Amino acid sequence: QHVSMDVRQTRVKTVLKQIEQQTGLTFAFDEKLLRKTPEVTIYASGQPIPAILKMIEKQTDLEFRQVGNMIGVTEKPHTGQVTEKNQTDAQAIVRTIKGKITDEKGEGLPSVSIRVKGTSDGTMSDIDGTYSINVAGDESILIYSFIGFTAQEIMVGARSAIDVQMQPDVSTLSEVVVTGYGAQRKKDLIGAVSVVDVDQLKQTTDGQVTNQLQGRASGVTVVSSGQPGDAPQVRIRGLNTFGNNNPLYVVDGVPTTSIADLNTNDIASMQVLKDAGSASIYGSRAANGVIIITTRKGKDKVKVNYSAWFGMQTPPRGNVWNTLNPQEQAQLKFQVQKNSGLTLGDDQYGYGQTPVLPDYILPTGAKEGDPGTNPDLYYVNPNYTSVDDFNTFNQIVKANKSGTDWFHEIFKPAPSTSHNISLSGGSDQGSYLFSMNYFNQQGALTNTYLKRYTLRSNSQYNIGKHIRIGENLAYSISDNPKSSTSDGGSAIAFSFRMQPIIPVYDIMGNYAGSRATGMGDAFNPVAMRDRTRYDKGLDNRLFGNVFAEVDLFNYFTLRTSFGGENYSGRWNSFSFPSYENKENSNTNTYNEGSYSGFNWTWTNLLTFHKTMGKHELTVAAGTEAYNNKYWELGGSTQGYFSFDPNYMNLGTGSGTRSNYSSRSLDALYSLISRVDYIYNDKYLLGGILRRDGSSKFINERYGYFPAVSAGWRISKEGFMQGIPWLDDLKIRANYGVMGNQINVGSGNAFTTYTSNRRSSYYDLAGTSGTGALEGFERSQIGNPDAIWEKDISTNIGIDATFFKGRLDVIADYYVKNIKDLLFNPSLIGTQGGGNVPFVNIGQMKNKGIDLQVNSKFDIGRDLKLNATLTFTSYNNKILKVANNTNYFDLEGRGFDGASIVRNSVGNSIGQFFGYKVIGFWNSDEEIAAANAQAVQQTGDPNAVYQDGAALGRFRYENINGDGQITAADRQMLGNPNPDFSYGLNLAFNYKQLDLSIFFYGVQGNQIWNQTRWWSDFNSSRSGAKSKIALYDSWTPEHHNATAPIQENASSFSTINVPNSYFIEDGSYLRAKNVQLGYTLAPAFLKKIKMQQLRFYLQATNLFTITKYSGLDPEVSRNNSANASQIVFGIDEGSYPSSKQYTVGLNLTF
Amino acid sequence: SLLFLQSCKDQFLDKPVQGALSDEVLATKKGVDGLLTGAYAALDGQGDFTGGSGWESPPDNWVYGAIPGGDAHKGSDGGDQTPINAIATFTSGADNGFYNTKWKALYEGVTRSNTVLRVLALVTDMTDEEKSALEAQARFLRGHYYFELKKMWNMVPWIDETTTDFNQPNDKDIWPMIEADFQMAYEKLPATQDLVGRANKWAAGAYLGKTYLYEKKFAEAVKVFTEVIGSGVTSNGLKYELVSFKDNFDAATKNNAESVFAIQMVANDGTLDITNANQGSMLNFPYGTGAPFACCGFFQPSQMLVNMYRTDASGLPYLTDYNSHAVKNDMKLTSAAPFTPDAGNLDPRLDWTVGRRGIPYHDWGIYPGMNWVRDQPYGGPYAPKKNIHRQKTQDLYADLSSWAPGNAINVLVIRFADVLLMAAEAEANAGSLAKAEEYVNRVRNRAADKAGWLYQYVTNANPLAGFSTTPAANYVIKPYPTGTLAAKGKAGVLQAIYYERGIELAMEGHRFFDLVRWNAADTAINGYFNYESKVTTDLAGGKFLNGKNNYFPIPQYQIDMSTANGAPLLKQNPGYN
Repeated sequence: QHVSMDVRQTRVKTVLKQIEQQTGLTFAFDEKLLRKTPEVTIYASGQPIPAILKMIEKQTDLEFRQVGNMIGVTEKPHTGQVTEKNQTDAQAIVRTIKGKITDEKGEGLPSVSIRVKGTSDGTMSDIDGTYSINVAGDESILIYSFIGFTAQEIMVGARSAIDVQMQPDVSTLSEVVVTGYGAQRKKDLIGAVSVVDVDQLKQTTDGQVTNQLQGRASGVTVVSSGQPGDAPQVRIRGLNTFGNNNPLYVVDGVPTTSIADLNTNDIASMQVLKDAGSASIYGSRAANGVIIITTRKGKDKVKVNYSAWFGMQTPPRGNVWNTLNPQEQAQLKFQVQKNSGLTLGDDQYGYGQTPVLPDYILPTGAKEGDPGTNPDLYYVNPNYTSVDDFNTFNQIVKANKSGTDWFHEIFKPAPSTSHNISLSGGSDQGSYLFSMNYFNQQGALTNTYLKRYTLRSNSQYNIGKHIRIGENLAYSISDNPKSSTSDGGSAIAFSFRMQPIIPVYDIMGNYAGSRATGMGDAFNPVAMRDRTRYDKGLDNRLFGNVFAEVDLFNYFTLRTSFGGENYSGRWNSFSFPSYENKENSNTNTYNEGSYSGFNWTWTNLLTFHKTMGKHELTVAAGTEAYNNKYWELGGSTQGYFSFDPNYMNLGTGSGTRSNYSSRSLDALYSLISRVDYIYNDKYLLGGILRRDGSSKFINERYGYFPAVSAGWRISKEGFMQGIPWLDDLKIRANYGVMGNQINVGSGNAFTTYTSNRRSSYYDLAGTSGTGALEGFERSQIGNPDAIWEKDISTNIGIDATFFKGRLDVIADYYVKNIKDLLFNPSLIGTQGGGNVPFVNIGQMKNKGIDLQVNSKFDIGRDLKLNATLTFTSYNNKILKVANNTNYFDLEGRGFDGASIVRNSVGNSIGQFFGYKVIGFWNSDEEIAAANAQAVQQTGDPNAVYQDGAALGRFRYENINGDGQITAADRQMLGNPNPDFSYGLNLAFNYKQLDLSIFFYGVQGNQIWNQTRWWSDFNSSRSGAKSKIALYDSWTPEHHNATAPIQENASSFSTINVPNSYFIEDGSYLRAKNVQLGYTLAPAFLKKIKMQQLRFYLQATNLFTITKYSGLDPEVSRNNSANASQIVFGIDEGSYPSSKQYTVGLNLTF
Repeated sequence: SLLFLQSCKDQFLDKPVQGALSDEVLATKKGVDGLLTGAYAALDGQGDFTGGSGWESPPDNWVYGAIPGGDAHKGSDGGDQTPINAIATFTSGADNGFYNTKWKALYEGVTRSNTVLRVLALVTDMTDEEKSALEAQARFLRGHYYFELKKMWNMVPWIDETTTDFNQPNDKDIWPMIEADFQMAYEKLPATQDLVGRANKWAAGAYLGKTYLYEKKFAEAVKVFTEVIGSGVTSNGLKYELVSFKDNFDAATKNNAESVFAIQMVANDGTLDITNANQGSMLNFPYGTGAPFACCGFFQPSQMLVNMYRTDASGLPYLTDYNSHAVKNDMKLTSAAPFTPDAGNLDPRLDWTVGRRGIPYHDWGIYPGMNWVRDQPYGGPYAPKKNIHRQKTQDLYADLSSWAPGNAINVLVIRFADVLLMAAEAEANAGSLAKAEEYVNRVRNRAADKAGWLYQYVTNANPLAGFSTTPAANYVIKPYPTGTLAAKGKAGVLQAIYYERGIELAMEGHRFFDLVRWNAADTAINGYFNYESKVTTDLAGGKFLNGKNNYFPIPQYQIDMSTANGAPLLKQNPGYN
């Protein structure tokens, strides 16, 4: 009997069934045996049965024995088979097979890899898709593979030509992703959802998921900080409110506001919901966007994974602040005296024509041998407890003539390490995952670090086929001391404010500082950081949920989940007295505080899902309740007898004591519904309606958040079938409303009074001391009419796959109109004090484009490239601020009361505002001419063009042409919002090696470089100055300068008002991450009983291309106050990102 | 479970406000008294409600009354607190943030006073007399807050306890309302109070007189001042009298017989903060190498002020040409360089008002000059003194819990010497020149009392060891010989009164407002710029423009906020754009 067949990767049982049908033979076999037998590939045109059975025998462990019409199938003994096979192959005649490979539409497909199974022989198809390969024997099997297509195996048989049509691998499109209260196939998404490639994400070694997210998802802007544990600023599609713009995070179905302590290794998937079509199911909390995270679950057999890395951060090198050395600093002082027409000379630098550095700065200007420098006269008690003691100090400080490098005194190379172990497994009974992580990142700035321990236990128990019960729980403990400010008073700022002639220590090893004459008023940053050494804290948080799911009547699933977080933390800090500065604190103060919070979310959801022919319908409805409580408690005391950290607590101080506490409560109650309908895999429709009730609102407590979406998979239409380069094309659009209430405090609706020791107590009895009597002040002005902020969003997008899956494009255009924006504009002064209530007053508009492009290439036989580009742009425009004002200002900094940031109608949030410098006043004639013009135009004989106009100072632009520089001549000077930001990930694979490079860039934003206020102007306090101040400032001989004339006085025409001198281009391109990995060959691993082992070397922040003159164009702020959430891009010494070199390994067994 | 949640969801969403009280809870005798205490607590202008730093709304007006009047330089160095420099040189526009802070601080006081009056109407457990006495205190306070607003800005909106729309125009002269508040307080307040910090009848009388004086209603002023001087007592029952000059500026001797109305300050009140401890003056301590204060070298007396303390051989001031008899200073001298203080005749009040080289600085040691000055070419060689606490009692009266010092020295809104000089002014204008002379001499006689002078240390090495019997300088001061002043006629008497106010009340925040109401600001201040600019560099470009700079500009932000129907209700003062 002869049989013809062409089966590829087919189960043996199916093959035997075919033979039975063609021949009438019967096979007798053990089901179990066949189930574990690998699939086979056979090609036969009219061959005898035994030959075919032999082919099967060769590819499997089966043996066939014919008894009459019955063929028995058994397992063959495990000996000698490999040798035998090789011998047969060796005897076979080598011949050539040719053919053409096409895609599913018949187009030639180049670069397809063709290998002979079981050998290392292989080739690739050429540009037309044709190929030729040598095989030995008819039973050789060829494997055809190409990224984006399903691999195929074909047995050669007697043929000399084999043409193959490849089928696209739609697996990524069929991938199911978790969205709001449900899951969808990726191809069915009709909302703007960024599906984050979690493997790529994890390549950035960081303790925080949000830092890793930078550049990985389109539509998401992340500004991160170099400080360990600083939560980065995450913005989804720009800015949506005048306050808190942080997105909502939903981890395993539980909403939360923070994922800072989430173990990054635990993440299984991450989706960003950006528009109403995807996010308005989260109703009142959706407007800032939603990030959905699912943590890992166990599956299959027991697996243990260990991964670890060790990294070393290296702070920027060189003279990072461009600071003058001591001799130059002294020269500048003399230059200033010359510019101001003063007599040259200084107590420290002498009264000659050129300054001479002293040997000592304390006593002032003393030379070696001066009797005042006798160490016997020295007296400093660094741990003094009485002012009288302090008043007798006599400090002796040598001059550091070579200059102290203050930056590198506080920024040191710092190690980071992470160890993660996880244990997982699963069966049809359930699944479990247990993980532990130890993360320790030392900050480059001394005494800043993040030490964190996290534990996770995710489990699910299947009770029968239809009931699932489980839990996801994470517990974290963090110890995270930080440098708290990023303004001119921080240690980082003092590293550019402190004069370099001051040494770190005095002659006896105590701190030296600005106490000496002419040394300015900066604080010793080393002392400052060192004095935080007793500051400790510990935060812990239990986060997770328990859930139950029941399948009912085939089509229904009922899920209930009770989750939330219970967190608490404590901290203590100690303020040492200081003695080395101009401005010393004479007290010692110990502070201790704690906070705790408990919030829960109880969600009940009933889902109906049914496919009926071409119709697929999903309906979900449910309820959700959220309850939140928060407490704070703390106090401080002064007057400690000993500064031993083991001694100090709130009870042991002898001085004045203070304490405080506070708490807040709020709740939400919601009804949820959503409908998704798909017809014929072609037309997709979605609808969402959520109703939220909030405890923060009184008169109108409930709000409705609807959204409708539609999608059309055009590529499924007949008229699209002839386009060979297009695999899949879907157009989608949606419209809906998202809400926001995050900025509103729980007491917003009520006018209330409180007593406040600081501002409502009064010493009516005239005791001078502790006898102040209790009084009351208004704490809150109430607005019972506040309602939800409405974010009305329209989104149009396309999802397309081109060139046989080699190119994926996801593009979205959106417009968001924010109405009833909740804002608490300052009230008119005549209304008096108290917290200003949030009222629905503002309006804003955002529009932009999100784009994500993925592409995959096989460059050579073993060299593969996978490139991902994300592109994010947003344009934010304020449409209304309040009824009586069209702007609000923020950030005064060192100016004369005018603010740097003006948020005004027609502009973006956070824009910089002030006078525009158009040059210097180069001659007296120029000033006189301008003043004469001012007199003429105003008719006022006293009129001047510009206050403080003088030689070498700034000339400002007069924009209204009234002949005078007035407040009306201020203009928008720059915008910290970038035109766009982008991330480009290039991943190469060559055999066991992998290399990935990740670039992140920001384009078209401006930075307000406030460090220049301190460094480039002599009159900005007497601190260290920059090389620009000495070498590139205006002098009568140097008009083409950068900085204005250096002088003692400050002026409206120099640094008293915000002006464009401080504006710089903040665009940059950064090599965020470069990683080279080596994965050991599976064959070797099998020997040592491991599944996977990979080593890697990594460099983070390897280089940055930017024109920005400051330390780091990624200017971060670690301030969590609401007002500052919309202030960004102001650099007054922000914590810079460091380069980091890392080695790591990942091991699974 | 769904049903359960549905049924109790309304309760579920009702969350009571935490840590706060409602109107109704406070509408009791005790509650409204607490609100009144809160209205007093706004006197110091310090709290979150101002939106600015403490020194932007100082209750002693060192920024707005003393510095613009020529008493003192801003001090510190050029880049520090530049808005004050703009105020000092009258180059400041309406957008200077300091004005807004001061405005808000004062209207917070108005608001708190109004809240007392509004809630008082709801109280049921008080008699009408009790209510009226309490109302009188609230109206006294409101009168004070409006008086401050009036002298700063002239035209300001009037808000009272009945106002519901807080956007009101500044189109009315509010003197009549201020007068009415003080009049009511003068009539209804008791002569003495249970607590010394409360305003009494006589404080209200003095303030009413001051109001008349500003309104140039001199006859009414004479009447009320005569009553106050004749019968006035302090809230703790002390007959109004002049005490030792220095005791006015010492926390240990506060609320003495001279204290007509004072803002009570406390140190170490359990807040670990100096909000109630003269926070408005936290910057005004000598600063530099070895200076025993943490901050900050501001408020440095001017050379012109120091010159005003020069006396002639007969112990009388040089009323017009004091600058030709300048007091020797230590400009350009380091602390190590030798210096001998001026040996000429001086008014002893100088050395309780100004810290100068070679003279004991309270019990902190001999004032060393440059070492305690931040930038001498910029701010001059001197330091303030009236606001400085003593070393000996600093444990009690200094509050060192913040980055800058605080202390418990009261801010004197009106002290009896001020009353006497105001009365003298009223008398000179509408009464008896002899009476005016008598009042001036009463003030000078107190200054001439040797017991109140500053003496040299027993030993300079240990200032805490006390003072010797050798005066710290060559003090020569005498009253005007009887009849000689009155003989100069009204103009001559007024000139002497104006001068006497200048040296008696220097550094207490009155000078600028006095000069403006005398219509003397133009000459005095531009003369000051002329003279003082030769001493220091900070006043370059300073120019007082009469008709414009008599009042400060209404804060631009408030004007912007007052926009209704496209136009602001608040009108800017003349001369500002």
